[in-house]
Amino acid sequence: MNANVAEQLNKKVRSIHSLPTPPVIFQPLLGLLQQPADRVNLKEVTRLVSYDESLAAMCLRIANSPLFGRAKTTESVQAAVLSLGIRRVGDILLTCCMQQMMPRGKWATDPAAFWRHSLGCALVTRKFAEMIEYPDVEKAYVAGLLHDLGIVVNSVTYPEEFSGVLEEAAKMCVPLLVVEEKRLGFTHCESGLILAETWRIPPDIRDVIQFHHGDGGAFDKNPLVSLVHLCDLLCRMRSLGHGYYEAQGVDFAADEAWLVLAQQFPRLAAMDLARFTFDLDAVVGEVTDLVNSIFAPTEAS
Amino acid sequence: MPMAADLQTSAASARGEDLFTDPAYLRIRDVVYQISGIYHAEDKMYLLGGACTRRMAETKAKSPREYLDQLTVRADRDSELRKLLNEITIGETCLFRSQPQIDALKSVILPQLIAEKAQMGYRRLRVWSAGCSTGEEPYTLAMVLLEEREKLLKGWTFEIAATDLNDRSIEIAKAGVYGDYALRNTSAYYRRKYFTPMAGASAGAGEKLQIRDEVKAAIAFSRLNLNDPSKMLFMSGMDIIFCCNVLIYFDGASKRRVVQQFYSNLLPGGYFFLGHSESLFQVNDEFRLVHFPGTTAYWKGPAGKGATT
Repeated sequence: MNANVAEQLNKKVRSIHSLPTPPVIFQPLLGLLQQPADRVNLKEVTRLVSYDESLAAMCLRIANSPLFGRAKTTESVQAAVLSLGIRRVGDILLTCCMQQMMPRGKWATDPAAFWRHSLGCALVTRKFAEMIEYPDVEKAYVAGLLHDLGIVVNSVTYPEEFSGVLEEAAKMCVPLLVVEEKRLGFTHCESGLILAETWRIPPDIRDVIQFHHGDGGAFDKNPLVSLVHLCDLLCRMRSLGHGYYEAQGVDFAADEAWLVLAQQFPRLAAMDLARFTFDLDAVVGEVTDLVNSIFAPTEAS
Repeated sequence: MPMAADLQTSAASARGEDLFTDPAYLRIRDVVYQISGIYHAEDKMYLLGGACTRRMAETKAKSPREYLDQLTVRADRDSELRKLLNEITIGETCLFRSQPQIDALKSVILPQLIAEKAQMGYRRLRVWSAGCSTGEEPYTLAMVLLEEREKLLKGWTFEIAATDLNDRSIEIAKAGVYGDYALRNTSAYYRRKYFTPMAGASAGAGEKLQIRDEVKAAIAFSRLNLNDPSKMLFMSGMDIIFCCNVLIYFDGASKRRVVQQFYSNLLPGGYFFLGHSESLFQVNDEFRLVHFPGTTAYWKGPAGKGATT
């Protein structure tokens, strides 16, 4: 991205009016999710949620989905926390927050497809993190959820150009990034970073947003980046991508991110990736159902 | 290859009616394993039992013990054994069964192989459908490749070898006649272009279509036992091998051996496809697992490099 394009993009992103400011609970929630689970105060969480009735209702609906372990009682946030654990409920809250922060106006992309990919990637990243015994699986979830923020930016700030990007990417069956670079002069990694800074998203998640397609030696520095890079690819290879066919064959075990992760997490080398992949197919249907039930109705409003 | 008899027998065993616990079945299992390398673990015994039950009705054997004798001591035991293997391996499948595999083949693998081979001056592609059952898979591959004749494969020749252990399946495959069920995934375009209606068959339900000669001409059918190393040697020089839902009937040791043989039979850079949820985990670590949208395949690395990094 040349300096001119960068400046223009920066200005444009910072002046987006159609991107709502985060709900009041967003910042405290992010702070909460950065803490070890035993230091999180249940009262604090309940207080956060009670700020917003519709948020609480959506949160409870998600908590009842099989994807999140299905809370035994969904009548109160407090009960959901007891049943699912405080961090899991934090994830759900953040997911709802994200949905509320999404622009209501014109999208170049199908918002439901974006949600399927984001939520799918969050779930897959958490699953993958559990599999390789990554220490903070809930952070992995958050990173997966937010990694493609830049797509929202592009979709809203450059709706016409970005729908051209999507169209061409789908026609050529290539990754979005390739066409973004060619047609916009920047990618969703760069525009996502600007929004992440504006929203004061913590640095390790910001790395993921900026580097999940590689580059910058970020795989080495932050395992979270490698983790999301691989899971993003897995989702795109397993019907949880951007809604079009990407003609590529991915040799995960030869991917730089895989090699870096394998050094830090020995479980990766012994992992049955084929089986993990087959198991993902069960997630696809559930993610689609959840996105349809949670996000589609509000999208119309 | 979901077996035709699978549904009936598994339902029966689910009801606990016949779990094929007679020791004679275990002996039959050993005989089958010795000959074909197909091993029926405990949870697969109902498949073997079902096959035996159907053969026993045919041979009038009154007990599994008597049928075992027919397989081992009678003069015509080889022919009966062949018939039993036919019964075990008979498959039920359809044309265009796995669209993600076809897409990966068309949009990633073919362009890649063609570019690589053209660079080395080759203009010939060899594909093997191993365990082709009644021909649905090789005919699908042939149609997909024929579609590329004027595009990717312009100026190229291709051959499809289609083999199966079951010679009754091979006969059905060669005839190339399919009904609605086998054609359920075949689009109108392909039906019109590559099939002719069977003369005398009534329109509508029960209509049968026959594959055209130009498709048949692209395929060489033959009977082959994957467990016969000397025969496997003839199948070398392959670019792509499909072996879908065949290895599931093999035990670990013979699976490893057969897969190693497939690996050798592939040219460097070649691809190996398994069925929808089959994996080579702990079967072979030379092949590299490659993900395509909606499907996975195994890749033999390029020449001169170790297959694993």
